[in-house]
Amino acid sequence: MFFRYLTIHHKVNAKFKMQKSKLFFLILSVLCFNTTVFSQEGSKRIISLSPALTEEIYLLGIEDKLVGCTIYCKRPPSAQKKEKVGNVVEVNVEKIISLRPDLVLATELTDPKDIEKLKALGISVINFPTPRNFSEICEGFLRLARIVRREQKAKEIVEEANKEIETIKEMVKDLPKPKVFVQIGARPLFTVTKDSFIHNLIELAGGINIASSAKTGLYSRENVIRKDPDVIIIASMGITGKKEKKHWEAYKTLKAVKGERIYFIDASEVCSPTPLSFVEALKEIVELIHPEIKKDG
Amino acid sequence: MDKKLIHWAFFILLFSLILLAVSAFSFLIGSSHIPLNKIIPLILKGKGTIEYSILFDIRLPRILLGLAVGGALSIAGVILQGMFRNPLVEPYTLGISGGAALLVSLNISLGLNQRFGLISLPASGFLGAIVVILVVYALSVKKGILKIQGLLLTGVMISFISSSLIMLIMAISKAEDLHGIVFWIMGSLEEPNPLLIKLMLLISIFGLIISYLFCFDLNALLLGEEEALHLGTNIERTKKSLFILASILTGFSVGIAGIIGFVGLLVPHLMRMIVGSDHRILLISAFLSGAAFLILCDTLARTIIAPLELPVGVITGIVGGGLFIYALTKKEPLII
Repeated sequence: MFFRYLTIHHKVNAKFKMQKSKLFFLILSVLCFNTTVFSQEGSKRIISLSPALTEEIYLLGIEDKLVGCTIYCKRPPSAQKKEKVGNVVEVNVEKIISLRPDLVLATELTDPKDIEKLKALGISVINFPTPRNFSEICEGFLRLARIVRREQKAKEIVEEANKEIETIKEMVKDLPKPKVFVQIGARPLFTVTKDSFIHNLIELAGGINIASSAKTGLYSRENVIRKDPDVIIIASMGITGKKEKKHWEAYKTLKAVKGERIYFIDASEVCSPTPLSFVEALKEIVELIHPEIKKDG
Repeated sequence: MDKKLIHWAFFILLFSLILLAVSAFSFLIGSSHIPLNKIIPLILKGKGTIEYSILFDIRLPRILLGLAVGGALSIAGVILQGMFRNPLVEPYTLGISGGAALLVSLNISLGLNQRFGLISLPASGFLGAIVVILVVYALSVKKGILKIQGLLLTGVMISFISSSLIMLIMAISKAEDLHGIVFWIMGSLEEPNPLLIKLMLLISIFGLIISYLFCFDLNALLLGEEEALHLGTNIERTKKSLFILASILTGFSVGIAGIIGFVGLLVPHLMRMIVGSDHRILLISAFLSGAAFLILCDTLARTIIAPLELPVGVITGIVGGGLFIYALTKKEPLII
C-alpha cells in the first residue's frame, strides 16, 4: 500500500519542476528511514525485473546483492550468470519467493497480479515507471540509488552524464536540424512519439522527430513520404532491418534515400536506458544525424 | 439398475482419484525444487518458512482456482451442449468471453485499473459478461419463448463484434497497456486475492448442485424440445434457467481467470464418450475431470520451461486438442 502511494506521488511529481521534486525526494527519504523495510544498510537481496534496472544495479556497484533478474538482462555480460526469474512481462512468483528477496524492482510491464501476490507475501516491491526522457531516467536511477543507499555514487554518475549531454548540446546548437524518422517496428510501421525517450534522444542530438505530435506510434508510410525526412533510423536487428531499408529505397524521391541516409541502431542498446547508456546512444545518434561533426574533428 | 449405479460409483471414484492425484502432483512440483521427503515435516511444522509459503501461498491457491474454474467451465459446457444439442457450442460461443474481454481492455486502456485497483479487472470482466448475457437474452426472447438458434447466432455475432472492438482498442492504446490486455486475454490462474478464489469455488460448487436440479430436464431435452414437452418438462423455464446458470458460471470464470479456452468444449465431449450422455453422471464427471484437466495443464504451464511461465491456454489448447483428435479417431461419431 505504502509503495503504491509513493509510486502515484512519484508519477504526479514527474510533471513538476526540479525544485518540487527535490522537496519530494527529501520527504521520500525521510519516509524511507521511518519504515522497517529498509535497514540502514539497505536491502540485502534484490531481484530486478527489467534489464535497465539490472544494469543500474551494476552501475551502482551492488551487483553482489542482486540475487535474480530476467532472461533479457544481458548487460553487463556477468548479469547473465544471475538466477533467472522470468522474462520482463511473465515472471515466476514461486522462483522469486524461493530466492528470498527483501526487495523486488518491478516496471510497468510487470504483471500487476504478480506484484500484488509478492506484496501479499510480505516482500517490498517497488515500481519504476517507464522513463519518457533523460531527466526521468535520472530520476528513476536516483530513486533506485536512494533505496539501496548508493546516492553518492549515483549522483556522480548522473552529473557525469549531464556534463556529457551539455557538451553535445553545445556541439549541435548551431547546426541545421535535419528531420528524422525513427522506425521501431515494421509491420505495422511503428515509430516513437514525444512520450518516448528515443524522441528525447533525437531532439538532444539536434534533430527533429517528424512523428513527435502523433498520438500513438502507429504511423502510415504515406505520412512519412509527405513529411520527407532527411534521415531514417531503423531500430531493429538483423534481416528485418535490411529488408526495411530496401523497402524505403524504393521511394526514390525521399531525401533520406537520395542522400543515402538510412541507418540502423541496435534495438537492445536503446531499449533499456540507464543514464550512461542514454549518453552512449546519444553519441551514436549524433554521429548519424550530424556526420559533419566527425569530419571537423 | 443396480449395475448402473455401481458403474457410476466407479466412475465418480475414478475421477475423484484422478483429481486428487493431479492436485497432489501440482502441489509437489514447481520451479523451486522442494524434496519429497521434506514435504510432510514442512506441512506439519514448517509454518513461517519460505518453502511453506511456496506450498500454501503460491501453489495451493492456483490449484483451488484451477479446480473452481475448470469445474465451472466444464459443467457450463455440458449444460450448453445439452441445451443446444450442438456439439460445437462451448461456454465462450455465446459471446460471454468477448464481452468480458472488451470491458477489461477498455478498463486497461483507460487506466481505470490504476485508479481503482486490481479488483476492477475481474469486476469489469464480470460486468462485460453480464451485459452480453442480457443483450443476447433480450434479442433471443420472442413472445416469452427463448429461441435457441437465435441465441446461438446472436452470441456468435456479439463475439465477432467484441473481438473487432478489442482490436480497435489495442490499435490505439499505448504499448504499456497493450501487453496487459494481451495477457489478460490469454488467461491465467494466478490470482492474488484469496477472496476471489473462495468466491469462485463457491460459485462453482453451487453451480454443480443447481445443475443437478435440471439433470432430468437436460436428459429429456436430448430428445428434442417437443419430445421434452411431452415428457412433462417446462421447457421455457428450463431453458432460461440453464442459460442463466451457464452464463453465471462462465462470467465468473472469465472475470477472474481470463479466457482459458478449450476446457468447456473438450471435457464435456470426452466425458460423453467415457460415461455416456446421461446428465446424472455426466455433470459430476465433467466437473471432476474438468478440474483435474485444468490443474494439470496449469502445472505443465508453470514448469515446462521454468522459470518462464506459459499462458495456461497454450497448454489446454495443445494437450486438449491432441487428446480430442485422438479420441475422435478411436470412437464412434459424437452423439449428443
